[in-house]
Amino acid sequence: MSFLVVLKHSYLRSLNYILSWSIPLLLLGVLTLPFYDLVAENEKQIRPIIRGLSPIIKSFIGGELAEEMLTPQGYVSQRYFSFIPVVFGIFAAFAGSGMLVSDEEKGYLDLLMSHPTSRTALFLGRLTSIILQVITIILFGWVGLLIGVFRSESLDFTGEQLIIPYFSVFGITIFFTSFALFISLVFPSRSSAAMTTGIMVIAGFIITTLSAAIPDLKTIAMFSPITYFQANAMNGLNLIPFFGLITLSLILTVLAWIKFRLRDLRIIGEKGW
Amino acid sequence: MDKFKHAIIAEKLTKCFGSHLALDDLNLRIDDGEIFGFLGPNGAGKTTFIRILLDLIRPTTGSVSVFGLCPLENSIEIRSRCGYLPGELRLDENITVRAIINYFVNLRGGSSKITNNAYILSERLSLDLDPKIKNLSKGNKQKIGIILAFMHSPDLLLLDEPTSGLDPLTQKSVLEIVNEAKDEGSTVFMSSHIFSEIRIVTDRFAIVRGGSVIDVRKTSDLEIHKTTIVKVKFNGAIPHRDTLKMLQNVSLKYVSSISKTLNFEVNGSMDQLLKFLSGYDVERLETSNDVIEDLFFSYYDTKK
Repeated sequence: MSFLVVLKHSYLRSLNYILSWSIPLLLLGVLTLPFYDLVAENEKQIRPIIRGLSPIIKSFIGGELAEEMLTPQGYVSQRYFSFIPVVFGIFAAFAGSGMLVSDEEKGYLDLLMSHPTSRTALFLGRLTSIILQVITIILFGWVGLLIGVFRSESLDFTGEQLIIPYFSVFGITIFFTSFALFISLVFPSRSSAAMTTGIMVIAGFIITTLSAAIPDLKTIAMFSPITYFQANAMNGLNLIPFFGLITLSLILTVLAWIKFRLRDLRIIGEKGW
Repeated sequence: MDKFKHAIIAEKLTKCFGSHLALDDLNLRIDDGEIFGFLGPNGAGKTTFIRILLDLIRPTTGSVSVFGLCPLENSIEIRSRCGYLPGELRLDENITVRAIINYFVNLRGGSSKITNNAYILSERLSLDLDPKIKNLSKGNKQKIGIILAFMHSPDLLLLDEPTSGLDPLTQKSVLEIVNEAKDEGSTVFMSSHIFSEIRIVTDRFAIVRGGSVIDVRKTSDLEIHKTTIVKVKFNGAIPHRDTLKMLQNVSLKYVSSISKTLNFEVNGSMDQLLKFLSGYDVERLETSNDVIEDLFFSYYDTKK
């Protein structure tokens, strides 16, 4: 019962926050995809330009597969999905780090936990709310893609094709959320956890991208979660990295839950008592 | 409702935060159905004790029980029977008063009885339910906390400075609500810095210092026996502790050999003490019938 009350309250409280992420994402799809018509029209001029780019610059538009950008699927992967993990990663950094510790630092968690709500119910209610928020934002993004495809004369994708990469987006987002949540309870500090996760997102994105041009970075890139994100999943989702991210997320979530159940709640303020 | 002789029992309760000792071997028993006051300065351990009762924090050593139940193992049941008003009340600022009350009513099962109680209390405290909480004054936010603590008619009320930030009329209303709760069978545990509040409302009170209970008194006894606190500053030698034993209605509360000051608690007539002091060179003598305040400060006088 408490779980449902917490879930409903947390989700409804976040509606403005959800919309602030959802609407720009929807517009991104609506505005970006129709530009493929221009790309397709000028393919012969664009291809030699891409071939002439330095490997490092080319790594930011797909590396060896940069010319795939001139194909419909390649365009959607490169121009839309390739940097989506950064967008969702920043969302996850704030959502995960603030799930419990934000209210604890404000002093609100004391009052909340003085009511007959178990820590587990609060934990699961808020986590489920975040998962639903992610799904909601993804749905907005997907609708944006559908509208973008509709507006384009050259793109022809089904809704199923466009939703498949979002499974990978979901996996990477849940990973970063659970990571931010776990370290927010360990540090314990919301700002430190958000910053650490944000650095992991940005640095991971840069390392993963550059590793396409700099072979020495490939070993380090193995430790970046972004490496396991599948921007080109419209061709088919590889389930191993997807479930790998989900499994790691589950482990971090369980560890966070155990930490939350066992530790004292801080009275107010950040970092300490 | 099960009746326990003691609503709260704490035995050798200790809590450390790193190297800081917040509670030091605290022993306390609070009777079922009484209003019990907790007096102590900031950092004395009052809030720490209350938070242990609610399983917000866990003791380092020692034991505590609420209605005979261990807070760690039975936190949900204990919290369902408790109403808590934090000393520093923090609320979700971006929603309305009505929304936050409804949220907490739903966390307690969403019964219409609790909802009605909440709205009756809001009318009694003159609290408008429509504004957003961020637009309320400190006093009005405190009223929300009071409603949340009392709305479900709890068996145990844990109130940390309940009248903080309230105007005098509302303070009076709150103390009336506390008394009504007691009349309905609730036990009330309240910390306060306001001595008159302790005197008016409580049945017993404890003085806390350094995380330990150093004295527990029945409030009515202090009034009935017309207790007076007497502070005496001496010019010359101060009386030895052993010589005071002959005084039957006088007890020594504080000694400072550097400032040559003794604080006495006198129950009833001052005649014996005055005759005793006539044999010494007394520089100054002060008396006070604000017994609780002077009793409190007699434990906290730090002049040396």
